[in-house]
Amino acid sequence: MAEAVAPQVFTRRASGLVRVMSPYSAFIYNVLTMGVIFPWTYIWAPTAFQGSNLTLGIIFAFVFELPIALAYAWLATALPRSGGDYVFQSRVFGGGFGFTVVFAFFVVWILQWVALSGWLLAVLGLAPTFIGLGVTTGIDALTSFGTWCASSGGIITISILNALLSLALLVSGFRNYVRLQYVMWYGILASFAVMLILFFTTNPSAAQGELDGFASAVDGVSNFFATAKAAAADAGVNFDPPFWFFGTLMVAPIAWTSLQWCTYSVEQGGEIKNAHVFRNQVFILAGSLVLTAGLLVLLALAMQKGIGSDGILVASSGYWYGVGEATIGGTFLMPNLIAIALAGSPILIAIIGFGYILNSFQIVCNCYIGTTRIMVAQSLDGLLPEWFSRIHPRWKTPVNAHLAYFLASIPVIVAYNTVDAWVRWTLGVTFANGAVMTLSALAAALLPYRAKAIYEASPGARYTLGGVPLVTVLGTIGFLTGGFMVGSFLFVEGLGLAYSIDALPYWIVVGTAVVGLLVYWTMRTIKAQQGVKVEYAFAEIPPE
Amino acid sequence: MRLLRRKGKAGTEPTRIFYASDIHGSEPTYRKFLNAARFYEVDALVFGGDLMGKLLIPVVRDAGGTWRASLQGRQHHLETPEQLREFTRNLDTLGFYWKEMDPEEYRSYEGDQERIDALFDELARDRLREWVALAEERLAGSHVKVYLCGGNDDTDAVLGALDEERFERVVSCEERIVPLDDEHVLVTVGYSTPTPWLTPRERSDEEIGKIIEGLMREVPDPSRAVLNFHCPPLDSGLDTCMKLDASVWPPAPVIENGQPVYYGAGSESVRRALHDYQPTVGLHGHIHESRGVARYGRTPAFNPGSEYGEGVLRGLIVAIRGGEVVGSQFTSG
Repeated sequence: MAEAVAPQVFTRRASGLVRVMSPYSAFIYNVLTMGVIFPWTYIWAPTAFQGSNLTLGIIFAFVFELPIALAYAWLATALPRSGGDYVFQSRVFGGGFGFTVVFAFFVVWILQWVALSGWLLAVLGLAPTFIGLGVTTGIDALTSFGTWCASSGGIITISILNALLSLALLVSGFRNYVRLQYVMWYGILASFAVMLILFFTTNPSAAQGELDGFASAVDGVSNFFATAKAAAADAGVNFDPPFWFFGTLMVAPIAWTSLQWCTYSVEQGGEIKNAHVFRNQVFILAGSLVLTAGLLVLLALAMQKGIGSDGILVASSGYWYGVGEATIGGTFLMPNLIAIALAGSPILIAIIGFGYILNSFQIVCNCYIGTTRIMVAQSLDGLLPEWFSRIHPRWKTPVNAHLAYFLASIPVIVAYNTVDAWVRWTLGVTFANGAVMTLSALAAALLPYRAKAIYEASPGARYTLGGVPLVTVLGTIGFLTGGFMVGSFLFVEGLGLAYSIDALPYWIVVGTAVVGLLVYWTMRTIKAQQGVKVEYAFAEIPPE
Repeated sequence: MRLLRRKGKAGTEPTRIFYASDIHGSEPTYRKFLNAARFYEVDALVFGGDLMGKLLIPVVRDAGGTWRASLQGRQHHLETPEQLREFTRNLDTLGFYWKEMDPEEYRSYEGDQERIDALFDELARDRLREWVALAEERLAGSHVKVYLCGGNDDTDAVLGALDEERFERVVSCEERIVPLDDEHVLVTVGYSTPTPWLTPRERSDEEIGKIIEGLMREVPDPSRAVLNFHCPPLDSGLDTCMKLDASVWPPAPVIENGQPVYYGAGSESVRRALHDYQPTVGLHGHIHESRGVARYGRTPAFNPGSEYGEGVLRGLIVAIRGGEVVGSQFTSG
């Protein structure tokens, strides 16, 4: 009888293909994209939903996002290509739908995040850092520079420089960004760790004293905390609210504005090494979600310990109710500013500030990285002019797409910081971005039926639940949880669009979708006149 | 009877070409390639090289009527003929060859690269013959021709199957000038510049330049030529890939400052040909991850990339008329 053998593969001399960004780098990229040190949750939710439980709300957001992140793992392994959400939706729903949704709700609306990241850098990164350093060292010039950073002129200048620096870094080669990302990663982790330590090692009464001293040095006010608390109460803040479950549930969509970005690495799926390996994508997508949600919960607990419910409500009133007395140096009491006030040491302030500066720079970078990949994919599909997908022969990067996005961001930066009504007009940003991810969850649910061959060739095809593809189960749950949060942005007053008293922000959302549709229709018409159909870019040829 | 439809001349309908390359033995991808003629309503199917698969999976019979095989680092134990069929169907999708053998036969191949290469050639030649027959069958009665050639990964012994007889719909176009329509010709060169993988059909850039020059001398009007050159032009963005260290086997990425180094792996001779002759269009493959378009004066050059391993056919539809590209569209089907 023949002896059993463990046969090996026979190979010959043939070329191979190797990819780039490691799964670990992609994991870091997602954590940083979620802006772990910039969560609005802490200054938005406490007064918008008084009586809500921050920690529980963040956990709800995590639970709602988890099926979406897992469903993305199927999409990312089945279609490991750059352009992520656009590729998924165009292959499952068709090119017109995929292009319109992702172009309008991502490419156009993410311009708002370019402007926001400049604002973050100026107002939450540079301003508190320099003000803090000025106060602790007694150097007035530093305080003055910090104050200028938070002024309109300062924000616009810093925002444009921020975008320009990002443009220069990214067009010089993606690997330069990946290299810098490690500096950002450790810098941001150090900053976050220092904040946690500062909050955990103090108590509310000591913290209030520190805040009083800091505000006195910056703004020359006395009894800052008591004054701010009284003003907040006058503005409608209840400092002893009963627990409110629905309010807690509504914290989830706010925390989701951070956590939803755990899937953003799919936009450069074509550059991630072994992107088609299932466990890699689970690590990148779900792993980054777990870590970030954990850190957000930890910060919520730390703030509760360090400044107490009163401190959190006072900080939130400055943002939500516009209570001027609850700001320092014209800046909202974001966790970093409070931590800087507690630090009392230039070194600790520098560590915190450095982390915020790096994270805001990272955010503008990821705006460019994701959207330019989408634009290149759309251009290669013939839905944007060929010019967008040209790669620079020396730098090997899509310079034209980067340049176009930079130029498009300048008017948005100026408007964001000079037009009073701009923020109200653009309240749809949270809805628009969330809608893209929710629709991608639906694309995942339908993948086995609408792109059968692609699904069957993917590693996730082997997972089923009661005979139903597991991706369909997760995608459906994700579509429902995402739909719940996106719907909240539409209809709940304390969130997104519904905050506005008029219909204009809704029409602006519709307008961007119409623009996307028009671009699609125009390119489709031009292509038809050239003798080709854009629909061919998405149609799957039957092998038989 | 006219073999070619009156197309492609100024004032007439454009000639629509579907181009794809680098399918590396993948059965469903090749079948999609043939079906692209009807699906995309094109007049010609042009293949850009690299027909052959890269792996051969020995499926070893165990005593007791079961089978063992290794795939993607995992040992598979196939217990029923249905499992075997499903497994080999997956191998066909991936573009891998397979051969059922008993343990003694398997052991006789171990370590004997010459015999393994010969087995590769035998299986690849058989598959190519089947593919040619399939093309003849599927395109019979249509005006569409399929132009096949090799790339750097194909061996001459296998490509010989394309010239074993004269076919009705299949045109063997390697290192030839063949008519595409009433006005345009297809000029094909399947070689690549040297790679770290030491593949069968590599030539120095100078040699490729001489082959191109020799062919282009015979082209009556270079502006009406479609250049089907497997290797993309140097530093065009169509040739960007990771730099590999050829001193180790298999070649490993070159890492500098903790990051992989990218470079252009294309051909200067191809770049010069596009620049100097200003042909109608350049069609290229070779670098799977560098899908894109570049321009040389009036001439666009395309690389549609390749995802054959996922059973996805990446391609390009290009409409030409009067020596010009009037429309183009990348596809992913």
